Amino acid sequence: MRHTLQFSFPDGYNEQQLISDLADHYSMKKERFVSESMAIYDTFDWRLFHKSLVLYESGNKLVLRKLFESTIIHSVEITSPPVFIWDFPDSELKEQLAPIIKMRALLKLAEAYSRETPYRILNHDEKTVARLVYEEIRPSPDKDIPALATYLWLKPVKGYPRYSQNLGKRLKEAGFTASKKEDIYFEALRVADKKPGSYSTKLNIHLDPDMPSDEATKVILRFLLHVIRINEAHIEKDLDTEFVHDFRVATRRTRSALGQIKNVFPAETTDRFRKSFAFVGKISNQLRDLDVYLLNEVNYKAMLPAVLRDNIDTLFDHLRKKRSKAFQEVISGLGSRKYKRILQNWDVFLNEPRQASPTAANADLPIIDLARKRIYKKYRRTVKDGNLILENTKDEMLHLLRIECKKLRYLLEFFSSLFPRKKVNVLIEQLKKLQDNLGDFNDFCVQEEYLLKIAEELPATDQQSKKTLVAIGSLIGTLDREKQAAKDAFAKTFTDYASPANKTSFRELFTSK
Amino acid sequence: MTTLALYSNKGGVGKTAAAVNLSYLAAQAGSRTLICDLDPQSSATYYFRVKPKLKSGAKQFIKGGKQVDKSIKGTDYENLDLLPADFSHRKLDVTFNELKRSKHRLTRILDPLKNKYDLIILDCPVTISILAENIFNAVDYTLVPLIPTTLSVRTHRQLLSFCKKNKYDMSNIYSFFSMVDKRKKMHRELMATVLNEFNGILPSAIPYLSQIEKMGIQREPVAAFLPKSVASKSYQNLWQNIRETILLKTTI
Repeated sequence: MRHTLQFSFPDGYNEQQLISDLADHYSMKKERFVSESMAIYDTFDWRLFHKSLVLYESGNKLVLRKLFESTIIHSVEITSPPVFIWDFPDSELKEQLAPIIKMRALLKLAEAYSRETPYRILNHDEKTVARLVYEEIRPSPDKDIPALATYLWLKPVKGYPRYSQNLGKRLKEAGFTASKKEDIYFEALRVADKKPGSYSTKLNIHLDPDMPSDEATKVILRFLLHVIRINEAHIEKDLDTEFVHDFRVATRRTRSALGQIKNVFPAETTDRFRKSFAFVGKISNQLRDLDVYLLNEVNYKAMLPAVLRDNIDTLFDHLRKKRSKAFQEVISGLGSRKYKRILQNWDVFLNEPRQASPTAANADLPIIDLARKRIYKKYRRTVKDGNLILENTKDEMLHLLRIECKKLRYLLEFFSSLFPRKKVNVLIEQLKKLQDNLGDFNDFCVQEEYLLKIAEELPATDQQSKKTLVAIGSLIGTLDREKQAAKDAFAKTFTDYASPANKTSFRELFTSK
Repeated sequence: MTTLALYSNKGGVGKTAAAVNLSYLAAQAGSRTLICDLDPQSSATYYFRVKPKLKSGAKQFIKGGKQVDKSIKGTDYENLDLLPADFSHRKLDVTFNELKRSKHRLTRILDPLKNKYDLIILDCPVTISILAENIFNAVDYTLVPLIPTTLSVRTHRQLLSFCKKNKYDMSNIYSFFSMVDKRKKMHRELMATVLNEFNGILPSAIPYLSQIEKMGIQREPVAAFLPKSVASKSYQNLWQNIRETILLKTTI
């Protein structure tokens, strides 16, 4: 028995009773209690929880452990509470968390206060041969608040196994049980009224294949409205860039659903809301563009030759100024009467009872039929467009194909619960590769143009600005090479996507037998 | 991982007191620490209230390997383990001498323990024979307590010329003044002379204090039972010196 054991107290048994019972058999020495506070962190979308990780701050340390395990994976000293990964001191902890947290802010979710009283078990030489630690965990430092949990830890001392074996036996006889698989994380979060994993951008929609299409579409749209509302509520605090991003994705998916799940609502209604959501999307266009540039600041710098690296700072300072203006515009956009009315009307529409005899052509169609039809049609369209590009690659056509692919992706995601999950996921993965390629190409085009435009905004009078312009020029050069590389990679990526095997999968899954 | 020997070829200079307190301070600072008591007099083992006996037996100890780990005992302090002394250690010199690669036996004994600890401190017996060479070969650094007396300084000269002759890297040998009585003119004068003569003398000195002698009654490091005393402070300063001048070269 080399490892620490954790016991739960039997009902009605307390610390005093335990100690007085043990004192009959062992010579014991009580030590000064140790108080520790712990603040648990995660991102808004539970990135750490999804990886079964617990990140907490205790004292001046930031500690990472696995859920349900007390062994510490990494810890690092900090001077202030963590917010972004780039605020972390360079450490193994940072390296492990960077690809998980990425650009999201860490939020303090809950606090827990632990008070540990150690007892040493002594032999006749008064040498410590085992340790018992009594621990109480509370949601606040106030001792009158009931404890979330009380534990007894038995810590063997190396070289004295018999003492801890006997103690363990005695504890079990007294009704102590080895703690079940539990983690104070859940208790602390429950008390703080937080539900781990409660928010996710993944479309968690379950549809019944026989549902009428108008109803099923409303299920999807209600889910998206929920995501819009949640993120909208956090945008104002500007904790990180991803609330706006998730808000935008949900808006775009809403527009796409309205456009792609055809003829389920009256044409007039669909048109009106499509226009409304086009407006909602536009509110944050500029802000998102600027966020993307600023998030990529490090990458841009890395693209530059060392001699120019510092000269690009002027550009980013300029973008930061623009960003704070763009942010204010988003806030006033979201506070506008027009926006509020749109969302309110939308809410009413999505929640009104279904009409007995809907007029739209596909409204009564079982959703599975409409889903098959739309997905298959959209797939064939992407293959057709792609083949044309193979013959004659025009930038404009690549952009159009990118948009078609996005529509297909959304359709697959909306309806994934209607089809075998694994098979759909394989298709999505394949599509994703093509989308990444097209996305890269598009990003490089847009960035090139944007940099050219922004160069005009910068004053070119002093030496510093001239250098900045040189740096921008150099960036454009690199982006152009990257753009060409993405273009060159298209043929191979697309051929994989339009492979006979992939085509067969689409046909089998999405054409009626 | 670093190995550090508290060593002297003169007796009664404060090796064990330093080894016990330094290992305690290292463990308190969070390093997984092992103190190995190689002295058959087993004073370090006594201070930690452990029986001076190797569970694996002397033969297994000499052989090295996994058996040595079984003899290690946890102390009263977190992060601090002890490899107890054994009366058989009085014959270590003779035993090592009879074996192949006789100057590297201790290295073989310690190697398997190195991945379990951040710091291993050896409390060595008085020796300048084959056991001493085993120690120099096994450790990263040697730390020699130096009493500012003529005889102690003379012995240190002996050690340095021995190391030079046998080609041991003298830049890994550090020393500090021990059992210093600042009231004595001779101590003060010798310290000044010695600072000019030897390299690698750490700035912190351990004074001659009855607080340190009380360790025999308390059976605890003085840094544990009188943490705010002058004695503790001087060991803390010494530990600080060691961290800054020696351990920064390696990672602990």
